[in-house]
Amino acid sequence: MRKIDKSVANGYFREKNTYMVIYFIIWAVVSYGVVLLAEPLSTIYFNGFPFHYFMGAQGALAVFIVLLFVNAIVGDKIDKKYGINDKKNEEIGMGSTVDH
Amino acid sequence: MDTQFIVSLAIILATFALYIWIAIFNKAKETSEFYVAGRGVPPIWNGMAIGADWMSAASFIGMAGTIMVLGYDGLAYIMGWTGGYLLLTFLLAPQLRKSGSYTVPEFIGDRFLNKAALIIAAICTMIISFTYSIGQLSGSGVVIGRLFEIDAKLGTMIGVVLIAFYAAFGGMKGITWTQVAQYLVLIIAYLVPVIFMSLQITGNPIPWLSYGDIVGKLGALDRELGLSEYFAPFEKGTKWQFLALMFTLMAGTAGLPHVIARFYTVSTMKAARWSGAWALLFIGLLYFSAPAYAAFSRFILMTQVAGSKISELPAWTKTWVDTGLLKVADTSGDGILQWNELIIANDIVVMATPEIANLGAFVIGLVAAGAMAAALSTAGGLLIAISSAFAHDIYYRILKPTATEKQRMKVARITIVVATLLAGLIALDPPGAITQIVAWAFAIATGTFFPALVLGVWWKRSNAAGLIAGLLVGLGVTLTYIFAAKFGGFTILGIIDTGAGVFGAIAAFAANIIVSLATKPPSQEIQDAVINLRYPEQMTYKDGEIYMED
Repeated sequence: MRKIDKSVANGYFREKNTYMVIYFIIWAVVSYGVVLLAEPLSTIYFNGFPFHYFMGAQGALAVFIVLLFVNAIVGDKIDKKYGINDKKNEEIGMGSTVDH
Repeated sequence: MDTQFIVSLAIILATFALYIWIAIFNKAKETSEFYVAGRGVPPIWNGMAIGADWMSAASFIGMAGTIMVLGYDGLAYIMGWTGGYLLLTFLLAPQLRKSGSYTVPEFIGDRFLNKAALIIAAICTMIISFTYSIGQLSGSGVVIGRLFEIDAKLGTMIGVVLIAFYAAFGGMKGITWTQVAQYLVLIIAYLVPVIFMSLQITGNPIPWLSYGDIVGKLGALDRELGLSEYFAPFEKGTKWQFLALMFTLMAGTAGLPHVIARFYTVSTMKAARWSGAWALLFIGLLYFSAPAYAAFSRFILMTQVAGSKISELPAWTKTWVDTGLLKVADTSGDGILQWNELIIANDIVVMATPEIANLGAFVIGLVAAGAMAAALSTAGGLLIAISSAFAHDIYYRILKPTATEKQRMKVARITIVVATLLAGLIALDPPGAITQIVAWAFAIATGTFFPALVLGVWWKRSNAAGLIAGLLVGLGVTLTYIFAAKFGGFTILGIIDTGAGVFGAIAAFAANIIVSLATKPPSQEIQDAVINLRYPEQMTYKDGEIYMED
């Protein structure tokens, strides 16, 4: 165990949260935003569907899946940048359950 | 006994033999294996297991039918049941994984250092999972009822025995790998008929690309009949109901104890992150297909079944009329079945369509096996959540801390059997369609655990008094709204029972925050532990300093 500078740990936390806020804005626009504007969007057609229907049936879901994978990949990158070692995490994670 | 029966039964028995073989092979020997599968499940496989755990009879049997009946308004289920994975994966799963607990009530008990909080959380877990399992048992009743051509009630009773036996047997370790197999069975069973129908109707085997035109054609058919268009928004409810339902299903997803428990089975926060991504990809395969399934079914029913003579209806109608879930009435008395004379229960659309589309005995049997996999796998996860809440959180942590592992496992198994029997009793006369019952479980999770966990993980000032107030107020408001809307016709902005979670969540957040601020802050130790959850396993927060292990 060594002490690290607090600003490093806070940087880690801030960086992760910034991305999270961006993901949530996109999440809200493709789901809640489209539903709020469903009537005007229904006059636009996409791949045979009215656009609001397309977003509900396929578009929003596709965006959600992409966001989750982006989060996983970006999360790994941030971990690497801050010198987090996954093997070490695994050891600690496995050990954190002994007192049951 | 016809060929159809023999083929369906053979496929179901073959898949069951597979599940049981996997369960025996991986039988839980220790408590940690029973509850969290020894915590070594790799993310891709855990993603599939989450998929099977998650995709219940409501997703498999109920959702396409619900969309068929509701049109655009049914898509709230698609967005709601998938968008919640972002809330879960970003806001809760990695942090809860770091906490190292076995169950959601245990996390709450440790985070707030309060026995009353632990007990209330355990009771909420049991209420949510119990409500949810009523939907699963009712789903297995539909499948078994159709298979043996008996009343769905009798089918439910057979389902109860099967599920109780199955879930009590394996525990989480057996269930993880069984669920991987169940995911594969259910996804293949769902995709095969959609692909065949797509090929049959549009000549294109890729349903996701081809059904847009069918949706457009359904709108035209509706205009001819003087109905409102299939894809027209907010025909079956207000815009507020759509938004409220979507929020309820999303936040409920993030607060469902049995789904959260699956994130405890991986080794690290990183693995929790990847599990969430894989899970939604695997789930997405079915959710992309459900609206296609709905559109094809409706198209076949409108163009091939409606308009034919009542005396010449195909054989499938009789078997479904026998289950009590399909009604054919010639109200106009002209001997011809009109579209509006066909009353088809939401819950039989997926099961009946392969027959309606004439896809052959094998596909029909496969769909039956897939539906059983969906109902069984989710019921398994739910019953583990109920038994963990009782046997681990209440019995072991509160009532009898000296209990041996053997005693605890025994209590866990008894709990499973009792819970299944009780849920089965209610499922005999289900109080709603499967998706509706399941939506209530989500509303309760939205009103209780979602606010409790979000504040518990992200706000160090939240204390035990605030948590208890939040859980009780949220539970009370949600249940009151569900009952008032369902039985009293009470609504706000047109929001009906399935959207009740919005009110529960607002009330719970408010109660938690107000009471927390009005009472003493948690100890410095607890506040430190909450901040600690923000950082990866290697970093530890203590007394305002951060330490790193190399």
